[in-house]
Amino acid sequence: MVAKELLENRWKAGLGGLVALLMAVFAVYSLVWVKQLSPLTLDTPLLSTADRTLVRQELASIEVWTWANWFAKNAGLILAPLAAVLGGSAIAGEVSRGTIFLLLSKPLSRDRVLLTKYAVSATILLLVSVLASVGIVLTTLALGRSLPLGGLAISTVLIWLGSLSILGVALLFSVPATDSLRAVAGALVVALLIGVPGFSPGNRPWNLTAYWASLSAYQGREFPLLELVVCGVTAALPLAGALLLFRRRAF
Amino acid sequence: MAISRLTETATGVPTGTAAAIELHNLSVQYGTQRAVDNLSFTVPVGSIFGFLGPNGAGKTSTIKALLGFRPPAAGSARVLGHDVVRDSMAVRAHVGYVSETNSLYDGLTIPQLLAFSRATAPRWNGDLVARRLRDFGLPARGRVGRLSKGMKSQLALCLALGSEPDLLILDEPTTGLDPLARHQFLNTIVRDVAAAGKTLFFSSHILSEVEAVADQVAIIRAGRLLVCDELDHLKATQRLIKLAYTEPPPPDELAALRGLPGVARVSAAGRGVRILARGDVDSLAAALRSRPLAPHHLDLVPLNLESLFLEYMKDDKEGDAPDGR
Repeated sequence: MVAKELLENRWKAGLGGLVALLMAVFAVYSLVWVKQLSPLTLDTPLLSTADRTLVRQELASIEVWTWANWFAKNAGLILAPLAAVLGGSAIAGEVSRGTIFLLLSKPLSRDRVLLTKYAVSATILLLVSVLASVGIVLTTLALGRSLPLGGLAISTVLIWLGSLSILGVALLFSVPATDSLRAVAGALVVALLIGVPGFSPGNRPWNLTAYWASLSAYQGREFPLLELVVCGVTAALPLAGALLLFRRRAF
Repeated sequence: MAISRLTETATGVPTGTAAAIELHNLSVQYGTQRAVDNLSFTVPVGSIFGFLGPNGAGKTSTIKALLGFRPPAAGSARVLGHDVVRDSMAVRAHVGYVSETNSLYDGLTIPQLLAFSRATAPRWNGDLVARRLRDFGLPARGRVGRLSKGMKSQLALCLALGSEPDLLILDEPTTGLDPLARHQFLNTIVRDVAAAGKTLFFSSHILSEVEAVADQVAIIRAGRLLVCDELDHLKATQRLIKLAYTEPPPPDELAALRGLPGVARVSAAGRGVRILARGDVDSLAAALRSRPLAPHHLDLVPLNLESLFLEYMKDDKEGDAPDGR
């Protein structure tokens, strides 16, 4: 069943991997272009003094620039839709094509069916995340610079765990849905909602994506235990819900 | 029919199981809509069982309950001695299934689909599958999505046969097949399943094909069983009696006819009356001839399966509903 899932998702994985790689490379390489343009752009009255300081800091460090442009921005924009498409089509796609009856007529438990689909999608997301990070490292080396590999690795794991939350939500929507589009749309709405910043008691901006793209974890200032726990729990909860729902779903 | 579970074979099918399928007051529900209502019948091991009914009668819903796709709302069902709810995995390990839609993974190639079926089956007869693919003239390679609907039906059958099932469940399997392909399809299932002493349970709209291969039939309508019997016995014991009167018979005479033993259904149109008779039809014919208001003409018409089916499908308003057996 693993082979069948890989074959069925090969185009999504290939396209997602290619886009992620290009965007990751662009996220690093764009520093070169922006530096050339920065004297002009920093003079714009649209930027406040604080913003100008922030941009100058980013421009001064390829490390912060890469984090800001990949882990804090583009990675989520690519991995979240990919996770939504992979998870949303997992069961709803089988239902809309009518293949769910062929699949469920096999002597496989429903848990195994769902977990296999989840595991294959999670592996694809991991490979895409790793591919993007490899692209970042190689581009940085090509520019004659270096990045903290430990921080890059832990950030890759966090962003992957973050994408698993969207995958789980998409799977949860996919179980009762009769077509993939609704499940994907539902998961994307949730992805947008959890990206909306709330405010912690200290009036600091807070949302789930802050855990997926933790700067302190990336810079290796502390072991990101809290981030790993939050990302792990938010990934596990929708999966558990999807498993319970799928066990009871009548076709 | 009593079920005895003595020991289990190496493949997990209980030996001594006399019934391939047993339904006990099975009901299946979609929301508040009851698709199958109190269905009870038994499919003996080794039989070719035709499951008939009009569209929306509950055939597919029954099959879905047997395979664990949809839990029964009430009642119970056992397949090869296994409860369909508690032992669903064991049921599916021994059952081959071809769905109504013949939906296969269009994005896979035929070898990839075969590999998937082999990987998910507890046992696999690759030689048999290769032979049947050749018999049907199916390509050994190529994308499944490029096959015609009929070819997909044939491929679905090959996949179902590959796992050497003890029970093959086919839901409208020959829909979309031309007559030649249908003939070949039926020959294949009779040769590979029935001749091996295995059980075939299939639903179909094409009554001639059911009559050609089935030894037992059940007819359902609106989720309820109308009749379940051996086909030969059904045809031998159910006949149509056509009566012609000199004047339209009065309602009390029709009511009296309905009360006669062996009368399953009475329908009247002008001076003509049609009686679906069951059991000792000759005695019933004699009783009809000796009634005070005797018909001037009486015809005993043997029924083929199609005629029987149509008689059972007639609206209850025309006469009495036949009882299930």
